Amino acid sequence: MSVEQIQASAGSFQRRIQGRNAREYVAAIAVVVFFGWEFSRTPDLLARIGFGLMIAGMFYMVWALLSRGSGRPLPEDAGRASFIEFQRGELVRQRDLLRSVWRWYLGPLIPGLAVLLATSFNHAIQAGRAFPVVFVALFAVLVAAVFFGIARLNGRAALKLQCQIDELDEAGR
Amino acid sequence: MPQVERSHGADFEEVLATYLAALERLARAYEADPETRRDLLQEILIALWKSLDGFDNRCSLRTWIYRVAHNTAASHVSRQLRMRRQIFVGLEELPEPADSRDGEDAVAHRDAVATLYELVHQLKTIDRQVMVAYLEGMDAAQTSEITGLSARNVATKIHRIKHVLAHRFREGGRDVR
Repeated sequence: MSVEQIQASAGSFQRRIQGRNAREYVAAIAVVVFFGWEFSRTPDLLARIGFGLMIAGMFYMVWALLSRGSGRPLPEDAGRASFIEFQRGELVRQRDLLRSVWRWYLGPLIPGLAVLLATSFNHAIQAGRAFPVVFVALFAVLVAAVFFGIARLNGRAALKLQCQIDELDEAGR
Repeated sequence: MPQVERSHGADFEEVLATYLAALERLARAYEADPETRRDLLQEILIALWKSLDGFDNRCSLRTWIYRVAHNTAASHVSRQLRMRRQIFVGLEELPEPADSRDGEDAVAHRDAVATLYELVHQLKTIDRQVMVAYLEGMDAAQTSEITGLSARNVATKIHRIKHVLAHRFREGGRDVR
């Protein structure tokens, strides 16, 4: 492989990494499109605020993933760090990402969800029937359970990473 | 071409001339699939190309190159692990080979190398690095610089590597290196 070939492939390699990241966020884009469509067709002001907050929350989440996520290229000073230093840095970054999941992953969605649930609850009460009220209440409980479940799973994963960090620290002593 | 770029290019050509074969062996130690291995080698060379300007003589060029190569390969393994859910073992957990009398028959060099790489592919990343460094003829100090392991841990792992290689490739004492 010549120097010119390496130079030429550096650009296409970077584009491949970006392509890989883009595919990971297709689901987020689909969700934004869905909420955007709902935003445009609902006449309810409160619901529009809810959908708008959800869209803003999704954009923040995607930005947080892009800036802190796993698809980053190798830092250009990788030669300064031994494997343990380099790997430790990566594990700490991933651990902190998992520990802070309420802040950048779940938290941004809460305002929009809360407004949408409140809107649905209001409509259900105005309808004057018990079933819609119970349904919305149960749905709220389910959403809360899913959120706490995700946070718990991420917390466990963060603990596993901490064990790996501790192993590396021990190996370096 | 501007003087700075030509210097960088010339430096990199020297690196390629000196280290390409070793980097190919390193890539093979980290990736069994030939096509993915070519991607990994390309990734390593690109990382070296980008990092060379940052080399500041705080370590030897050889250490720098191997650090970049190993760190790139380790990132590759982490990504593959997330996709394939493989399990790697430490040097201490490698199973003892079957009756060594079977190994005393002459083994073609290519079979021995293939067997060696199969062994390496089972190892956790840090142990793989020590194994690769040992097979490339690096001493404990260089291995410690590249991996970040303490000298004591490097010595322990090298002792284990020698035991494993001696048992698996016993051919009248021929060193697989």
